[in-house]
Amino acid sequence: MPKLPTANSPKVAIFVDDKEVLVPGDTNLLEALKTVGIETPHICYHPYLPVSGNCRQCLVEQEGPRGRMLIIACFTPVTPGMKIYTPASSARVKNARQATSEFMLVNHPLDCPICDKAGECSLQENYMESAHQSRLRPEVGKQYHGNPDHTFVDSKGQVRGGKRVALGPRVTLDEERCVQCDRCVRFMRHVAKDEQLQLASRGDHTYITTFPGEKLDHEYDLCVTDICPVGALTANHFRFQQRTWLLSRTPSISMDDSLGANIWIDHNNGKIWRIMPRCNPEVNRSWLSNTSRLAYMGFTENRLASGDLNIVSDLLKHAKKVALVAGGACTLEDLAALKMLKDYLGDRASLFGGTLRPVLEADGISKSGDPLANRAGFKALGIPDNNLNDLMKHAADYDVLLTVHNDLFGDDEGAMILKKIPNRVILSAFNDETSKDATLVCGVNHWSEVTGSMINSLNILQKLSPAPTCPDAQLKPAYEVLSTLAGNPLTSAIAALQKVQEFVPALKPYSYENIRSTGVKLDGVLL
Amino acid sequence: MVRQIKQKPMNWIERLYIFEAFRGLWTTLKHALRGLLRYETLPTVPYPEIKPEISRTYRAKHRLMLRPDGTPRCVACGMCATACPAHCIFLEAAPAEDGRIEKRVLRFDIDHLVCVFCGLCVEACPVDALRMDTCDTSYVFRKREDFVTPMYQLMSWDPKDYPQDDLQSQMAPGGTKNKQALDAWGLKVN
Repeated sequence: MPKLPTANSPKVAIFVDDKEVLVPGDTNLLEALKTVGIETPHICYHPYLPVSGNCRQCLVEQEGPRGRMLIIACFTPVTPGMKIYTPASSARVKNARQATSEFMLVNHPLDCPICDKAGECSLQENYMESAHQSRLRPEVGKQYHGNPDHTFVDSKGQVRGGKRVALGPRVTLDEERCVQCDRCVRFMRHVAKDEQLQLASRGDHTYITTFPGEKLDHEYDLCVTDICPVGALTANHFRFQQRTWLLSRTPSISMDDSLGANIWIDHNNGKIWRIMPRCNPEVNRSWLSNTSRLAYMGFTENRLASGDLNIVSDLLKHAKKVALVAGGACTLEDLAALKMLKDYLGDRASLFGGTLRPVLEADGISKSGDPLANRAGFKALGIPDNNLNDLMKHAADYDVLLTVHNDLFGDDEGAMILKKIPNRVILSAFNDETSKDATLVCGVNHWSEVTGSMINSLNILQKLSPAPTCPDAQLKPAYEVLSTLAGNPLTSAIAALQKVQEFVPALKPYSYENIRSTGVKLDGVLL
Repeated sequence: MVRQIKQKPMNWIERLYIFEAFRGLWTTLKHALRGLLRYETLPTVPYPEIKPEISRTYRAKHRLMLRPDGTPRCVACGMCATACPAHCIFLEAAPAEDGRIEKRVLRFDIDHLVCVFCGLCVEACPVDALRMDTCDTSYVFRKREDFVTPMYQLMSWDPKDYPQDDLQSQMAPGGTKNKQALDAWGLKVN
């Protein structure tokens, strides 16, 4: 993997276009130029993949003992005093980049109108940025007319590959569009650690393929569709669904795992179309597991309607012993509101938390394996995070069970023992197994629809933003419902966060404005 | 630049106005009589009975162009919907069943109540699938929903209504060049 600049990188002086600039000294030239605001176009380079240097798009000129030479910026380490020339001063670099870009486009189909990558395609970006002119005649390269001319025969008269090769159950390959940058191959080899993709053949005939008789099938295989710089690898679930520029993006956190992978929720017209990884160098880098990525399909299905809170509060008023159970997708705000409810009910209530799902090993990419997403938050607020067994042992003592975002019955058959509790109040987004067996249900917002915060397993405080995709405007976030039951409604996330800060004074300095998009590391703070 | 226009000063008969009033009435009467007796020489058109001649270049109601086999040429790229300043084009895409074609359109609705007839969608279309040359300018419906023109209506036009030199229209089913185009379509694939 290339070494990326950090805050502690030693600064060295290099000359860019004859001007002296200070750049991080322990990285490659491409990243170093980026720190001083010079973007270098690149296709095959990816900050979280080993450098391959095969696209030759990131050319710059370096002054050497034999004069000025064209070098690739991605594979050149920064050395003090090196003299670099970018297109700003060197016509040769400009021409070379343009020629590389043209070379890549000569056998690339003009599929942009029907290509799912259009709008976020590196080839398009580089073309618009650096070349913006071509010596190619329009008849060179395929003009897509949606007619029999569709079969692309390149300028040498060869038919170039299949248009829809099913690489696996989730990924489709378009061999025509592939530029052989081998990002996907490197991803499977070095990140997923399961070499399922290969470049076959040589030279102009190179194509991406799987081993004979095998399919691309891996928990992280959809990441290859993100890193594909062109539209060659497309995800079946997003194929032809929406044009990328019509989507709005909401930055959020995936609340199905305690690593809290950073995600973009891409939506329009109140519907989520896809979930994309949001780059966070400390958490999930640019990767996202299929589980988290495809979870959006269930976000709006099988939802509960908002319930009548008066009945619930009457029930709580006359309850003798209440078990309050918090679950995985609870944000800090929800937990604080649950604590408010506990304080309101006093000795009659006791707090429980945890998950009945198995806690797995971390995979080192974007999952910690722990389904209780906010476990660190539970600890910070002093809510038990692993005492559901106590609850099941003493189920007979309680007469009201109130769960928040916790599908007890669906996660484990053993939880059926909780049916001994006569009144089961379920606060959940979904009509899941637990809700079906409940005596009272109350629908709340899903985590993709709320403003909130969570602390992940690396002790990073991260914030969730609401995507406007809630199917029912009557639904309220769990913290609002819980605090209403506690007699002190928190009608905004800001108020709820203040409540969190009352319980955990160490979080006082943070607000939704100053939690950065990549989160705040809570090193040495409390907890 | 300001230009001063000098008016001819009125003489004393004109300044009396009474004779001028009758002169104006005579003009009105002349046209009224012409409308009664020599109807066909009037420059105006008696609208619903006689429809005005509209040029092919006039931006009228849209139509979707067809391939020789009758499927829409549209590849559902969404350029028209992107270019549309009024956001009145709604389309959905799906993978095509025809192996030669990548993407096909599943739904293509234009809300003609919202449409501003700017023609940007026609210009944006990369495959010449959308045109505004139907010369159809009348939109009379009872309900708002009826103004949303669905795909099958945009596709139901007759090549006979279009000139012979409009090759693309004539290649559609029913057109004079349809047979030829179908042959070429079939041949080129194999």
